[in-house]
This record gives sequence, structure tokens and C-alpha cells, in this order.
Amino acid sequence: MTAAREAITLPIVFLTVTLVGGLRIGNPTALVPPSPYLLLLGVLLIRLVAKSGALAPERLLASSRSELANLNGLVVLITLWLAAAQALAAVTPDSGVPHLAAGAFFLVLLLNTAAAAPDRQQLLRSLAVTFAAAFVLKFVILNGLSAPGDGVVKRGLQALVDAVTLGALMQQVPHPLTAYLALFAIGLFLVGVLLLPLRIPSPRGALTRTQETIDIPSRD
Amino acid sequence: MGETTTRSLGLVLFLAYAALIGWLFVRQPQTMAQVTGGLSAVIGTYKINDQAFADGMQFFRHDQFVEARLALERADPAVRDARTQFYIAYSYYRQGWGRLYHDDRLYAEGLTVVDRAIALAPERRLIVDDPALGMHTAEELKAELEAGMRRDLSDFNPMRVFRERK
Repeated sequence: MTAAREAITLPIVFLTVTLVGGLRIGNPTALVPPSPYLLLLGVLLIRLVAKSGALAPERLLASSRSELANLNGLVVLITLWLAAAQALAAVTPDSGVPHLAAGAFFLVLLLNTAAAAPDRQQLLRSLAVTFAAAFVLKFVILNGLSAPGDGVVKRGLQALVDAVTLGALMQQVPHPLTAYLALFAIGLFLVGVLLLPLRIPSPRGALTRTQETIDIPSRD
Repeated sequence: MGETTTRSLGLVLFLAYAALIGWLFVRQPQTMAQVTGGLSAVIGTYKINDQAFADGMQFFRHDQFVEARLALERADPAVRDARTQFYIAYSYYRQGWGRLYHDDRLYAEGLTVVDRAIALAPERRLIVDDPALGMHTAEELKAELEAGMRRDLSDFNPMRVFRERK
């Protein structure tokens, strides 16, 4: 990994996710920080990313690196943590039972993925599917249910769902731009995770060899 | 560019961007004017639109409070000037004041704005030397607005019809 990617690209990518993921366009427009619970899930997510090999923490923080390099590495880890929490917040419904259910869903899913011990590729695929599913749930299904209906059938169905669930499913319908921003935030987060310094497994079975330590023997 | 330079530059960029994001989260600006005005205020270059302020004051003196507020809001689009916000709050007070009753909705709006004016003033101390006003400090205005919204026995005092608007 180049110094520019570690010192400039990754912190900017993750800070942008932190900013955009918290933006809720409306009247009033609000910038919402991630809740403590989501920050905790962010830690779980980082652990998962590190365990899968998508992130080699020893390539960001190590005694063999200079102080400045370690500071850059620490910045990457902190911004990754904030971005992970904010990416989860962006696709978590804002209130009611769906909010609680999404929190539990993310926790179970992260623990389950950790237990499955996926490799980098599997984890990235799993994260993409998780975020996409949560996005569809929040911005397509719940919004569709909560948006004011324009036809008699939709309004009737809405009233029925509202009555059966005692209003627990209904959400405040966000500005359409919020969905695009959330999509941008989770996409950018996945790109950021893809750009992290990864751990390359050794063909001889060593556990933590990195790209930098692999010697490619010449043919001569 | 050398590695040390790149790393130092990255750290500076990170600090600047993180400070901007932190500021945005704390201030919660609603418009781009508030973002740019707020940032100008941070570096000390923010200035209100004097012409719009003068227009607002003219409306204010003629008891055209809605027009006054529109002009004053135009004068301070970033909502960063304590004196302008004081006059906006004062316009809510004067418009909502009544000999028999006060308009609670306007008073509540005024209270929100005067709180903002106090928060913007240096050391939260705001004095406006305007002889045309009955109250010259943000504290007086705030107390008057709060008293106007309170329900107590003095509301039934018939002598209140002789009170004057400040």
C-alpha cells in the first residue's frame, strides 16, 4: 500500500462516509452522529474485517514503522471505525420496531459472520449483501409502506397495516435524496474496505505474512 | 513528493476535514449560506449585508414586522450576527404583543431567536444601544418573552390594559 493511500485516500474516504451517512435531508436537515450501539457494532465489524484478512492491522500500526506512519495508521483505524458505524446507521430505520429489529439483525449477522470465519472475498460479498438488504428494507419496503398513498387501494392497505401493527412499522418518509446519499455512503464504505491493507496468506501456511514481506524469487 | 511529506500532508488534511465535519455536526447548518457564513465567521471574515439590514430597520421602525424579518434574514443569511438576531427576536415580541393577550406562537419564535442571539454574542453578553427600543439587552427581551408566555394570576389583572409595549 502506498503512503498516499494510507495517509490521504483512506482517511478522506472514511470521513466522507461519516459525513454523508449521517446526512438526513428534510425540514430541518440534520447531521446525525452514530449511536453508541452502532459504534459498538462498528468495533465488531472492524474485528471481522481484520479476522478475514481484508485488513492487516500490523501494516498500519507496528513498532517497526515510524511515528508519523503509525499516526497515519491510527487515523485509518479510527476513521474506519466511525465510517463502519455510520454506514450501519445510514441503513438502519429511524424509529419504532424496525429500528430495534435492524439493530438486533446487524448484531446477529456480524456474530454469525465472525463464527463462519470468511476470507476477504467472502466477507466483502457478505457485507455488500447485508448493506444492500438493509438498504432495500429501509428505503424501499418501509418507505413504500409509510409514504402517503395516492390510490384508494394503497391508502386502504396502509391503514390496515397501520392498524394491525399499531403504527409500529410506520416511519417518517425521508427526502428522496437521503436514499441516494445512503447508497453513496455504503458504496464508498465498501470501496474503502476494499482499499485497506490486506493480509496475504502464505502458501506455506504462515498466518500473518503481508504483501511487503513476500519475496518473489527471480527465474535466474 | 517524499513519503514524509505525503504522510504529513495527509495528517493535516485529516485534521482539517475532521474539524469541518465536527463543526457541521455541532452547528447543524440548514443552508449552504449558513455553511459558508459559519466558516467565514470562524476565520473572522463574515459580514452582514448592510443595505438589507438598513431596509429591515426601516420596516421595523414602521411596525412592518414580517417585512422587517425578511429583510433582516436577508442581511444575515448565515445566522451569525447577534445584533441582527436580536432585532428579529424583538420583531416577534412587538408583533406578538397585545394589550389584552400576547401571541404565544410569535413569542415562542422570539424566544428561540433571542436564545440564538445570546449564544452568538461574545461572552453571551448582548447590549443594543438603540433609543427606539424599550429593552436594550438580550436578557430583558428574553425575560419579557418568557413572562408573556407564562400563565399566572397577573394575566387577570385588569390594569394590564394600561401597560405599554416596550
